[in-house]
Amino acid sequence: MTTGKEPTMRRSTTPRSTLLLALAGLFLSQSAAAEPLTEKQFLALHKQLQPAEDEPWRTIPWNISLLDARRQAAQQKKPLFIWAMDGHPLGCT
Amino acid sequence: MLDRASTFARKGIVQLLQTRFVPVAIDQAYQRRQKDAEGEFYRKIAGQGPRNNFKGTTQGFYAAGPDGKLLFYNNNRNPERVEGLMRKALRNFRPTATTAIARGKPDARYNPVPPKGGLVVRVRAKILSGYPETTDPWKRIFQTAVSRDNLWISKNEHAALASGSVPKTVQQRIARYHLVDNTRGEPPMWKANEIRHLDMKITRGKLTGTVRLATASGDRTYEADLYGVVKTSAGKVTQFDLVAKGNFSGEGTYTRGAPKGKFPLAIAFSLADGRDTADAVPPQASRGWVRGYIK
Repeated sequence: MTTGKEPTMRRSTTPRSTLLLALAGLFLSQSAAAEPLTEKQFLALHKQLQPAEDEPWRTIPWNISLLDARRQAAQQKKPLFIWAMDGHPLGCT
Repeated sequence: MLDRASTFARKGIVQLLQTRFVPVAIDQAYQRRQKDAEGEFYRKIAGQGPRNNFKGTTQGFYAAGPDGKLLFYNNNRNPERVEGLMRKALRNFRPTATTAIARGKPDARYNPVPPKGGLVVRVRAKILSGYPETTDPWKRIFQTAVSRDNLWISKNEHAALASGSVPKTVQQRIARYHLVDNTRGEPPMWKANEIRHLDMKITRGKLTGTVRLATASGDRTYEADLYGVVKTSAGKVTQFDLVAKGNFSGEGTYTRGAPKGKFPLAIAFSLADGRDTADAVPPQASRGWVRGYIK
């Protein structure tokens, strides 16, 4: 049977230790998220995320215009090789 | 990612592409829809392969003569197989006289160009840790991948950055379309109402900020701190180096296989100088919708 006092009863039955743990967890996660990047970390990460120039696929002279590539292929009497993806192959796929 | 580290890491394939073929890389979601000469030429080639219903993806590797005659289609990245197909195609290829294709008027929707007077910024993302150890070479490629996209900034936004402020439009574009985990494929972008907190400011040439992003269900989140350097000269931005680092969780339909729980994701930004072919690739989030991406 539901009574007007039931919500209060529910709140009072939550163990205090659980609430304290939850609050501590929230505080810790906020602290971690708010931890600012230092200049040293910024420089290291920025460098870490630059690609190596000598990656084999980067040494291939990719065109991104099919018509430009076709004109070049006709002039040089070569076939085209088309890398066709969902998302740009030189981008995120 | 997988193709770069497998097919296009094979010495024989790289040499063939450097010397015997004219290589071209495209997002076929554009060309299969384009109502212009480039779209017609692409559909002529792809239409000879098995994926000739242009309502769906036509992705894969194609070889064709400049006359549009298909030499092979393959959607298997096995390097040995691809090299074999390439060598066979070269044996079968007979150059023929071809007439030039008039470029005509490009389909504007699928030929976006960077904003005049604006900026193109390279964006790269990497998951720093959190994957379980694996001996699977394909999984390892994903686990070590560094993604690439471009951020476009308009002329007015460029001017604002050069005068020391970060326009709200730039903040929101960075948050929604570039603070994403695109290290395993095409990522879901953030909706406007998934930005829970966002602030960025420039103080004495240092760009700092914080961001909190979360879907309504909480199945995808990112909380990050931002730090960077913005230098200007004569009213132009000459350096825009920025890093976002924080904890990401979740994945998208095309980015399955993320680490479980929260994992550290770093995203680095730097000005493009046009020396990399990829500098000319439109932002992934602008696909067919440039006016939505950059207002």
